[in-house]
This record gives sequence, C-alpha cells and structure tokens, in this order.
Amino acid sequence: MLLLAAIAAWAHLAKPMPPLDGAEARRRLADEFPGKALDCMWISDDGRGAVARSGGLALILYAVGDGYVARDLPWDQVAASPVQDGCLALKLHDMAAPRAKLAFATWPLN
Amino acid sequence: MLHAPIDPVTLAVPFFILAIILEIALARLGWVKTHYEPRDTLTSLAMGLGRGIPGVLLGGMIFAVTVVVYNHRIFTVPFGAVWGWVAIFFLEDLTYYGFHRFSHERRFWWAAHVNHHSSQHYNLSTALRQTWTGGIAGTWCLWLPLAWLGFSPAQIAIQQGISLVYQFWIHTEAVGRMPTWFEAVMNTPSHHRVHHARNPRYLDSNYAGILIIWDKLFGTFQPELDEEPCRYGIVKNLGDFNILRVAFHEWIGMFADISQAKSLREVLGYVIGPPGWSPDGSRDTSASLKARWRALQAPAE
Ligand SMILES: [Zn+2]
Ligand SMILES: [Zn+2]
Repeated sequence: MLLLAAIAAWAHLAKPMPPLDGAEARRRLADEFPGKALDCMWISDDGRGAVARSGGLALILYAVGDGYVARDLPWDQVAASPVQDGCLALKLHDMAAPRAKLAFATWPLN
Repeated sequence: MLHAPIDPVTLAVPFFILAIILEIALARLGWVKTHYEPRDTLTSLAMGLGRGIPGVLLGGMIFAVTVVVYNHRIFTVPFGAVWGWVAIFFLEDLTYYGFHRFSHERRFWWAAHVNHHSSQHYNLSTALRQTWTGGIAGTWCLWLPLAWLGFSPAQIAIQQGISLVYQFWIHTEAVGRMPTWFEAVMNTPSHHRVHHARNPRYLDSNYAGILIIWDKLFGTFQPELDEEPCRYGIVKNLGDFNILRVAFHEWIGMFADISQAKSLREVLGYVIGPPGWSPDGSRDTSASLKARWRALQAPAE
C-alpha cells in the first residue's frame, strides 16, 4: 500500500495548481455557488484560496492537495475572523471540513 | 453449498495492484490522462485495506442470517447449473442497482456509501475506496431475497465478488468510450465517471453495477457529455485526507443534526430524508442543486 502511494508520489501526477488569478477564482466560485453574484472577491496571498462576498454570505474557496474545497458562511462571521500567523482562520462548523486557513497577512481587506 | 469455494475479490487483488501501477506508468509516459495525488491515493488504499476489519466483525453475522433465510427458501437453485448463474447475474445486478440508488437517495445509507465518492480524483485507486460501515447500515439485507429464492449463500457471495471486481476497471479516465454496443449495455468508465461527478447535471445518476440497462429502464441514466467535463468528489468536498473523516464524517454530521432535532419529523428527515435535507430547506440536496442548475440554463435555451 505504501509502495503504491510512493509510486504515485514519484510519478508526479497531481493536478497542476497554478496560483489563482481573478478569472480562475471566479470560474471556480461560479462552479461551486451557481447563480451567486459576487460583490467583491479577495485572493489569498499564496494564490491557494479566495474569499468572496455575496450579499450576507461569504463564499470561501481553498486548496486541499491538488483540489479545492468550498463552503459558505455568514459574512459577518468571516469579517470578524482572526488572522493568526499570516493566515485567516475560519471555523466552518462542518465535520467534513471543520476549519479553513487562507493566507491573508491582514484581514478584513477593503 | 454455503461457503464460497473462491473469493473473486481476493483472487483479483494482484490484478488491482498491477493495474494501478500500469495506469500510473502510462500516465507518467503521457500516454493516458489521469491524476494521482499521493495522500489521496494512500487514503483510498487504506480504505480498501481497512474494509476487511468490519468485514471480519460483521461478516459472520451477515453470513448466519443469509443461511437462515436460505434454509427457508422457496426453490433450490443448483450451484452447478448454468441457468442459475445466468439468473443470479441479472438478479444480483438488479439488487446492486437498488442498493446503490438507495445508498444515494437516503442519508442513513449515504453515510455508509459517501466515502466511495469522497475523492476529488477518479483513478483506479478510487475503486478501492470502499465503505467500512456498510454492514452497520444493513444494506446487505437487500441481498437476502436471493437466498430466499434459493440461491446459495456461496453463489450470492461469488456473484457479489464478480460485480465488485468488474467495477474496479471502470474507475479510470484512461479509457474514453468503449464500442457503442458495449456502452449501450454495460457499465463503463464513461458511465461511471458521470456517477462520480459532482456537477449538478450529473448528480444521482448511473447507479449501475455491471449492466447500465437498469439505469435506462428506471430513468436514472445520464450520458457523459463532452461539453461538460466531470468534476469529481462530493457536493461539499472534504477538508483533508484524514481517513477517519472519510469513513465517518457523514455519520457524525447526521448524529449532530439528530441531537438538534426538535421533533420526530425532523429526526426522520435527518435520517431517511435525502442527503442535505433540513427542516427549513436551507441546505442543498441533489434535487435543489439540479433545480437551480436547470433554472440557470433556462434563459440560454
Ligand atoms: Zn455511488
Ligand atoms: Zn465508483
């Protein structure tokens, strides 16, 4: 089992994960939250995540391995979430993905 | 015959390993398209290996119940009869379709099946991402009518194994489309890619085991469309590769919801409602996601 995983690692077959730009982040958010209009959007400092505001909701996108995970939260909760060690730490209240960390040196942004 | 003289799954393990190595090698050479993320692969393999633990714990009880039902059978299907194998091929595959559909449409059974869909990858290792909690979920009861009809527990176990082995090779992006006649009758990589996709258009379709005919018969067939590439995983993807999260997250989420329920109706909704059911309808279900997708398509059509 470990050998197979090691072969998979050696082969370098993970999906390419270039840093998100505005267009790619919007495309992914549109896939995750169809029909939701984005009032504004911020891409994380490392390009591996994004937060968008859609009315009273925050739409959150962050990389896990070579894929992305998305959740929404009340905007007020996200706006008030702390930055720790250069990361915005979000509690997602979901057993499937309890917390997200997005690289933002300062938060909230305007 | 009660005990199966062979276990197709055990026999196929060397083939599973070689096929995964081959898929990785061909992808490395650039001959086929596939993606492997090492932590994802490790999780899938560990889920496959760990599947044996609940199998040992509950397998004896499931076998005993199957024998009891078999002892009350209405016919006797001879183990060596060709017609019996033809009959069980279709009947077991129809049972699998029912089990699989049930496992997607009701949360209690989805809690056991969701882990198979929890990878954002679709490669041969994904096939091994098997449930640990199927025995507890009790879906094995769906196979008891076969024993009651007179198929021996051994014959049922072998046919279940054949189905599982067949379904291994279809977990790949390396195969595009099979010949038309094959796609029409059999479950194929293309059909099963759709089943693993989280695009709203593709949700809750192609429940087939070996034959795709059941989906066509019962209205759950959805062909793979070139204009809509599959995005794999679950509606709300997992936040890490923790194997315990893969195995148990939906169970824990369900019990957390039940603990907050304000009435018996809410308890029942959380347990046997569709995955995503909530009292106020604020959460998404497959149906609501599909409806929103359709509404967004409407102006363009
Ligand atoms: Zn499924
Ligand atoms: Zn599958």
